[in-house]
Amino acid sequence: MAAATAAGLATNVFPFRDARAAPDPVLEAGPVAHGSLPVPLVLDNGSFQARAGWACPGPDPGPEPRLQFRAVCARGRGGARGGAGPQVGNALGSLEPLRWMLRSPFDRNVPVNLELQELLLDYSFQHLGVSSQVTGEGCVDHPIVLTEAVCTPLYSRQMMSELLFECYGIPKVAYGIDSLFSFYHNNPKNMISSGLIISSGYQCTHILPILEGRLDARNCKRINLGGSQAAGYLQRLLQLKYPGHLAAITLSRMEEILHEHSYIAEDYVEELQKWRCPDYYENNVHKMQLPFSSKLLGSTLTSEEKQERRQQQLRRLQELNARRREEKLQLDQERLDRLLYVQELLEDGQMDQFHKALIELNMDSPEELQSYIQKLSAAVEQAKQKILQAEVSLEVDVVDSKPETPDLEQLEPSLEDVENINDFEPLFSEETPEVEKPVATVQPVFNLAAYHQLFVGTERIRAPEIIFQPSLIGEEQAGIAETLQYILDRYPKDVQELLVQNVLLTGGNMMYPGMKVRIEKELLEMRPFQSSFQVQLAANPVLDAWYGARDWALDHLDNEDVWITRKDYEEKGGGYLREHCASNVYVPIRLPKQASRSAEAQASGKGSGASGGGAGEQA
Amino acid sequence: MVKPDVQGISMDGVSENKMVPSDFSTGPMEKAAKPLPFKDPNFVHSGHGGAVAGKKNRTWKNLKQILASERALPWQLNDPNYFSIDAPPSFKPAKKYSDVSGLLANYTDPQSKLRFSTIEEFSYIRRLPSDVVTGYLALRKATSIVP
Repeated sequence: MAAATAAGLATNVFPFRDARAAPDPVLEAGPVAHGSLPVPLVLDNGSFQARAGWACPGPDPGPEPRLQFRAVCARGRGGARGGAGPQVGNALGSLEPLRWMLRSPFDRNVPVNLELQELLLDYSFQHLGVSSQVTGEGCVDHPIVLTEAVCTPLYSRQMMSELLFECYGIPKVAYGIDSLFSFYHNNPKNMISSGLIISSGYQCTHILPILEGRLDARNCKRINLGGSQAAGYLQRLLQLKYPGHLAAITLSRMEEILHEHSYIAEDYVEELQKWRCPDYYENNVHKMQLPFSSKLLGSTLTSEEKQERRQQQLRRLQELNARRREEKLQLDQERLDRLLYVQELLEDGQMDQFHKALIELNMDSPEELQSYIQKLSAAVEQAKQKILQAEVSLEVDVVDSKPETPDLEQLEPSLEDVENINDFEPLFSEETPEVEKPVATVQPVFNLAAYHQLFVGTERIRAPEIIFQPSLIGEEQAGIAETLQYILDRYPKDVQELLVQNVLLTGGNMMYPGMKVRIEKELLEMRPFQSSFQVQLAANPVLDAWYGARDWALDHLDNEDVWITRKDYEEKGGGYLREHCASNVYVPIRLPKQASRSAEAQASGKGSGASGGGAGEQA
Repeated sequence: MVKPDVQGISMDGVSENKMVPSDFSTGPMEKAAKPLPFKDPNFVHSGHGGAVAGKKNRTWKNLKQILASERALPWQLNDPNYFSIDAPPSFKPAKKYSDVSGLLANYTDPQSKLRFSTIEEFSYIRRLPSDVVTGYLALRKATSIVP
């Protein structure tokens, strides 16, 4: 048994890479950016990563986007130092030390904090080497292709348009949906295609039916679960299983586990049955090796040492209290003596001095003085009593296995004492939860490495499974399979047949091994007997949205009615959208233009007039 | 169409008016280094008043607030918008999995309401400290005490 475990311990042990991002160089735009026509900038604005690059015309479109960085920013550590300002993306290096200070412009998949968005855009433009060709005027001369959420709120698009047109002065912009760009990239260009896109990103998963090249927005559905929820779930699972390693189980490491050690089970229940068997468990558990931490080692040593420490702390506390009491007693006695002296003055009949002293002491009458003296002498007596009692209890030896409650009871509760006890209690309760051993294996030999290993067994399939079964995480929404069925049922049978012939899986959260097989199995279950369907995984699920947007930009450079120009923005408001094959559906509702308080009175009048006009036009 | 143009121009006038007094407030916001060449240094977001708009408009709206105000707009019945494309709740009963190991759970501990599948898991659950128990329940969103 010992030999088997010793051999088993050596297999399947993986270290954490804990990769740090290298800071991006400030690139030169190069000849690429200055052609006869302004070269479009393509920005895939995602909640996980932002990807930016040029859409270079010519025979070779070029490799990957020049910039890929996490869409977060944070101030440097130690507050804002020296005007350095917030750092963005890859300039942050490792995310973990700054985890609580990270801020993202996104709330779910919609950008809501446009100031942070501005920072991200600044970073992108700066590192791509964008410069203004018209001197003296700060603006970006290139048309921009930007991705937005499916059916993004009009307010958000308005804010984004305002940022792009008024702050950066771009000539024209085109908004599109990242999954649709990916579809554009993965399908042959000359065909008007229909299909179904299942796109799973960092924050949510969309199912988008495409009919004849155009998004059927009424029948899209969005499940609010994605990679970040899976990472959070995995983190909580491991933290609850290993409470001693709370700080070492970080979100970055969880993302590493998800990217490299997780997979999607083809049949979840069957796979779980396989995991029940201990041999299968031994062969397939991934043991993540945490770096050595002496703090953990110290706290798992004998409980007697812990008791020792507790007793020492108690003794220190008692001594502190006794000292404090003595000091207070001394002070009180001095004051009492002074008051008695003043009272003697009164008795001796030296009225002037007495009155002077009274004023010094801030008292009005001899009666007050008397009552004060009485109170003070009573307090002094009490203090003397307490000191005597405390001395007695210190001599009593405390020797038992559960030192907490009896010790605390012996310390007399006075105001100061209670405060001190409350300070120490959290210390006591922190040390009680013991480090939990992994459930299925027992280590008879003290193996230091094993104490620092996280056993990731069924968690490998549990965490990614939440998009199929949101009830794992307590979400009420339906999973991918049920939502797929719901959407297909809204179409007549022939359209259903058409849609399932071209199912595309895209998005970073679709990259688990076994995802395609699982989707095929789900489709097999819901489609009629012996009907056919075709599922395709995008060539590069993470970057295809950017590639598609670049291809789209190059194909539509000279097509004027897909770009929103500055004139359109000024005439028709920020929520305006020009539809194209990869865009949202435009609903012509005019939002009142947001304005500052001073101009709001004027603007609100005009704004409601405009929206009234807009609704009138609509009808 | 004369109307939209007039409105466009007057909107611009409004925004320009608000840019002028905001120059001094964008001063400290710019970096100590040179301002970036590709942006207008006098730009102030209208959604976030900052110091200019006074105390009421300081923070950005979060998604919930944006959606709440979007609901009030005059949508038609079939228009797609952000909240209408939310996936519907599931009709199928959820399978029960063990909180500890993730296997199919046939049993529930009446004391802590955690689900388990084997005897060893049960003894493990009974030895857990209460914060870990509430952690597992919170993970499933099962923490509310409903008799």
